[in-house]
Amino acid sequence: MTSKRFWDWFIFPGGIWIALLFAIPLCLVLALSFGHVDDFGRGVYGFSLDNYRDVFDATYVPVLLRSVGYALATVILCLLIGYPVAYFIARFGGRYRYALLAALVIPFFVNYLVRTYAWVALLSDQGLVNNLLVDLGLSQQPIQFINTPFAVIGGLVYGYIIFMILPLYGSIERMDPSVIEAGKDLYGSPFQTFLHVTLPATQAGILAGCVLVFLPAVGDFVSAQLLGGPDTYMVGNLIQDQFFAASNWPFGSALTVIMMAFLAIWMVFYLRRASKGEAEVL
Amino acid sequence: MSELELNRRQLLLAGAGLAAAAWGVSGCTVERPIDKSAAGDVVEPKIDGDLLIFNWAQYMDPSIKKSFSDRYGVAVNEVNFDNLEAMVTKLRAGGSYDLIFPSTEYVQRLRNEQLIRPFDRAKLKSAATLTPYFDNPWYDPNSEFSVPYTYYTTGIAWNTDEVDTMTGSWNDLSNEQALGRIFMLDDFQEGIGQANLLNGFYLNTEKSDQLETSKGTLLDQKEGLRGFSTNSVQNLVSGSAAVTQAWNGDVVNARNQVDDPSVFAYETCREGVPVGSDLMCIPITSKSPGTAMVFMDWILRPDNAYKNVMWNGYPMPVAGGREAFAKLVKDDPSIDVNLDQLSDSAMEFRLDNPEARQEWTRIWTEVKA
Repeated sequence: MTSKRFWDWFIFPGGIWIALLFAIPLCLVLALSFGHVDDFGRGVYGFSLDNYRDVFDATYVPVLLRSVGYALATVILCLLIGYPVAYFIARFGGRYRYALLAALVIPFFVNYLVRTYAWVALLSDQGLVNNLLVDLGLSQQPIQFINTPFAVIGGLVYGYIIFMILPLYGSIERMDPSVIEAGKDLYGSPFQTFLHVTLPATQAGILAGCVLVFLPAVGDFVSAQLLGGPDTYMVGNLIQDQFFAASNWPFGSALTVIMMAFLAIWMVFYLRRASKGEAEVL
Repeated sequence: MSELELNRRQLLLAGAGLAAAAWGVSGCTVERPIDKSAAGDVVEPKIDGDLLIFNWAQYMDPSIKKSFSDRYGVAVNEVNFDNLEAMVTKLRAGGSYDLIFPSTEYVQRLRNEQLIRPFDRAKLKSAATLTPYFDNPWYDPNSEFSVPYTYYTTGIAWNTDEVDTMTGSWNDLSNEQALGRIFMLDDFQEGIGQANLLNGFYLNTEKSDQLETSKGTLLDQKEGLRGFSTNSVQNLVSGSAAVTQAWNGDVVNARNQVDDPSVFAYETCREGVPVGSDLMCIPITSKSPGTAMVFMDWILRPDNAYKNVMWNGYPMPVAGGREAFAKLVKDDPSIDVNLDQLSDSAMEFRLDNPEARQEWTRIWTEVKA
């Protein structure tokens, strides 16, 4: 009994940390979202629903939808690229397995912003890729890669794909390979076996990967800022501009609250699924 | 898992708690009050520590920082902002910088908010040759808080290899030859301002119907844009921009970075030429205000002013700077700015009315969304 008491105390350092640096700032954001702007352009706390009314103004709804659309496209691409990679490493990596994983993870030690700038250097009109295409005669003139929606989605995929690969790797690696053999013994074609055996067996990893990619991708602003054009404005850019360009912190806070509420729905959905038997919360 | 799930009662309690928190802070401003006790103390020019300057990117010749650092044995570090609102936001939050470069209307705002410190301009030796226009200006009565850095016009820069049909109008931001390769400055005043001029309105109009018309103009122009950006130099040099709204000096800076400088040209527009000046000020949060003052004197020294103007392309209203700019203008008259233009208050961005300011930023957000 005493020993359990003793361990209970360990909740405090982390708990205080979360309370001070997460819960309280979050409450302030929530409070400010009901506020307004004073004559200097500073946010003032208050009680008004105006900011929330503005969030659902016809002007901003497309921005919210666009962000969700980009994030969904990112999730699908990450899954299509990430699954074969994770599968190969987990099943056929052999003794190079950890070296291969490290090779995937190490680029992510570099700051996301810097990696995105690298994309600008690679893909700009006179960047490496275009110079190569023109030199090889594959293209008459430079192709405009950046400042397009494709570049933004590409940047998001590059930025977050590791969050897809790692949980997938975990679930594929834990899967008992003999279930695949069983599938084949039952005269399943490779595709049927994949569809009816491998995929369900790694479902938890897929779900975890999708949620871990979707959540940060929806709120991202770096990719759209550096790789986007005039029509790729995401909710993250909208929020950032409210804080740093338009001096409207209350409106930025209301946008943040709405976005968090939206993401929380997904998170709850994920946690419920994850807790039901498959138990693979990463 | 069930332990983690909140029951209805807990949710209500949590909601009530948040509401109480909201009640508690209602009416307060967001920022913690920063220490403004130094607001009245006049800064003396003496070396009192390392420098952190807060400026637009590519706006000062790096060799001037280097030579100052060598001469006085202090580090000169620089961080950059993308727009002046971001700069003010960081100052308000208590960010500590020693030297900032606001425009005229921002000097006035920062002064009203007591975010900058007074200093005695007479103690800057190099300031003796400053153009008298900058004595006792509207934004800084008695010249206590600022010295001029540069002044500028806003116009349009383009790549002459790709575009040969410029007309000297703000309509050129929709030039047919450049569609999809056009940038507009990511600055709510410059963006809305050129649309106002194009529509024949007063630059700083506060009339809602006129602003709505200009919003329509901007949405039309947006169709042909490749992006919103204040990084004109990079956009021109990297080849991303065929046409870009730009400040006059940026075209000189861009020319300095390519083999054939004649590839970039600049024009001002017949519907109106916005003008402005950027000043040097010492924030209230400065840890080395004395060094900042010595550094201002250093920048305004004739040899440094000359170098700086040749590097960034913007006129400095001080001995050395004037000569350098005259030399640049001789090769390219389009980049010229004269003091008659500068004293035309109808062509300077200035939104004194906070409500109008909010309306402008709202329109700009809606255009970008």
